[in-house]
Amino acid sequence: MSDEAVREEDRQLVARAQAGDIEAFEALVEAHRDKVYGLALRMTRSEADAAEITQDTFLSAYQHLSEFRGDAAFGSWAYRIAANHALMRLRHRRVVEAAEEEIQGPAFTERGSLAEYPAQDWSRSAEGKVLDAELRRAIQEASDHLPEGYREVFLLKDVEGLSYEQIAEVTGDSVPAIKSRLHRARLALREAIDRFYNRGNEVG
Amino acid sequence: MYTCEDTINLLLDYLDGEMPLEEAKHLKEHLSGCAPCIDFLRTYRATPGLCRRALAEKMPQEVSTKLMEFLRTRIKSAS
Ligand SMILES: [Zn+2]
Repeated sequence: MSDEAVREEDRQLVARAQAGDIEAFEALVEAHRDKVYGLALRMTRSEADAAEITQDTFLSAYQHLSEFRGDAAFGSWAYRIAANHALMRLRHRRVVEAAEEEIQGPAFTERGSLAEYPAQDWSRSAEGKVLDAELRRAIQEASDHLPEGYREVFLLKDVEGLSYEQIAEVTGDSVPAIKSRLHRARLALREAIDRFYNRGNEVG
Repeated sequence: MYTCEDTINLLLDYLDGEMPLEEAKHLKEHLSGCAPCIDFLRTYRATPGLCRRALAEKMPQEVSTKLMEFLRTRIKSAS
């Protein structure tokens, strides 16, 4: 089904759910639970937290259904609620955390040229159907190692597909600050993937 | 003339299509003469999609069963 068809179906389900049709609401939950759960699991890295956040998200969506307007997609509304819940848990967890470390980008020479550059352009081979299990692990590890504030922004934008404005709304950060962290996070992940494709190619 | 460093610092804005024309022109000029930066741009651009695939998750069956039970009891008790 196309995105537009999905949205149209959601719109009809929302209208029915708003009129008190519980089955219609359950159909909405079914259609979006994987994505909500995935977001919560990636953000919190805890299956128990992810399950609870998913419950809270849909309960809260149900309770606020009358406030929901048809101009937004139900999915992105639910993901925003989920992102809020997940961020609250993360913030709660790291009240005593130290200042965040910086991410190093690529190395440059004194004249500003790339000191090391990709030995191969892997952007094409990355489009293959099946994702190598080792590459999957390398990416998961690199994402886990990002400083928290960078990881949040990267997950919300590049994995969950929220807009800069939505991220600013849930995190309370400015759009320029979000973009700068997103860029750093992408550099770190790009490098991790690059290391994967060039493993075994090291000279010497 | 932009250096590689200038170019890479601006990749996000460039790919978002949110860049003053003048800057975009400088950036394209650098790219047209710098193979490493072209490879860097391509791999940088491929990174989010790869990560999205690597980090995909599905809700386990028992979690979704519990979720539906939870919602049913909460919704019923509220109405
Ligand atoms: Zn260059």
